[in-house]
Amino acid sequence: MIDLAQTTILAAEESGDGGLDLLLPATPELIAGIIAFALVFFFVRLWAMPAINESLENRQKAIGGQMEEAEKAKVDAERLRADYEAQLAEAQAEKTRIFDAARGEADTVKSDLIAKAEAQAAEILDKARADAASEKARVMADAQREVANLTVDLAEKVVGSSLDRQTQLGLVERYIAELER
Amino acid sequence: MSERIAGYASAAYALASAEGELDRVEQELFAVARAVETSPELRDALTNPALPTDRKESIVRDVVGAHASRVTVNLVSMFVAQGRGGDLPEIASALTEARAASAGKAVAEVRSAVELDEATIARLAAALERKTGRAVEVKAIVDPSVLGGIVTRVGDTVIDGSVARRLRSLRETLQTR
Repeated sequence: MIDLAQTTILAAEESGDGGLDLLLPATPELIAGIIAFALVFFFVRLWAMPAINESLENRQKAIGGQMEEAEKAKVDAERLRADYEAQLAEAQAEKTRIFDAARGEADTVKSDLIAKAEAQAAEILDKARADAASEKARVMADAQREVANLTVDLAEKVVGSSLDRQTQLGLVERYIAELER
Repeated sequence: MSERIAGYASAAYALASAEGELDRVEQELFAVARAVETSPELRDALTNPALPTDRKESIVRDVVGAHASRVTVNLVSMFVAQGRGGDLPEIASALTEARAASAGKAVAEVRSAVELDEATIARLAAALERKTGRAVEVKAIVDPSVLGGIVTRVGDTVIDGSVARRLRSLRETLQTR
């Protein structure tokens, strides 16, 4: 590439017109071009620029409004999120509180039920023991009474048949002797 | 003693006294009372409410008539007719006590398993008089339930020296030990 530019410059220098002339347009053409550019610039500045500026302004306003709305929506969303999180935290706390209360109540009820059941069991056991002891004592007393009755009934029969007249008179004599003392 | 028993005994005392047979009637009534006391059949017959009164009086005449005076038979018949056949032992005891009281004595009802001879009864009476400080008339009763020894009752005082009492005591001891 450098070789090509050097070659062109060298060729222009060799032609004798000077190098810059090769690049610059002719003066009339330059003036006409400047006038044409001015005219175009004037018309553009007069009609197109305001419309373009208005359009840009509108566009900018619309974008600004949308950004505001977006910002507002974002703020609303943030607020909603905060509210939601607050409600969630409150619900969580409420849930925890209810769970704790329910657990506490359940523990209390459980403890009460266990204590009541234990008391009832102890009472039933005591009553059963007392009944058993009472029944045992009653049976023992009945057995003792029965044994006593059988023993004495047998003794009565033995005594009744074994006391002859002589023995009977001896008992009478002892009775009178006791009276006479 | 109930007022009714005392009333019957008083009537018997008055009637027997009026007839001049107090001692005999008292002894016979006492014997009849012992028979009623010791014979369930005789007691049932004389106290059975289903048995007609004339039938009961007929039984009295059959059982008592041959061995007792007319006054005694009439008195027993009257008691039975009034439905007091079961009260004969108490009426007889009341009559005995009334007669003894009129003589200034207390009645000692002596129960023994065997019959006591006169000498034993006399010794017993003397011992009881010393014990109670009163003149005593002994009424001896043979009662097999005594088993052995003697049970004496003078008024409300009971002196129990019977084998039955010892066996009762043994029974109570064995039952409560």
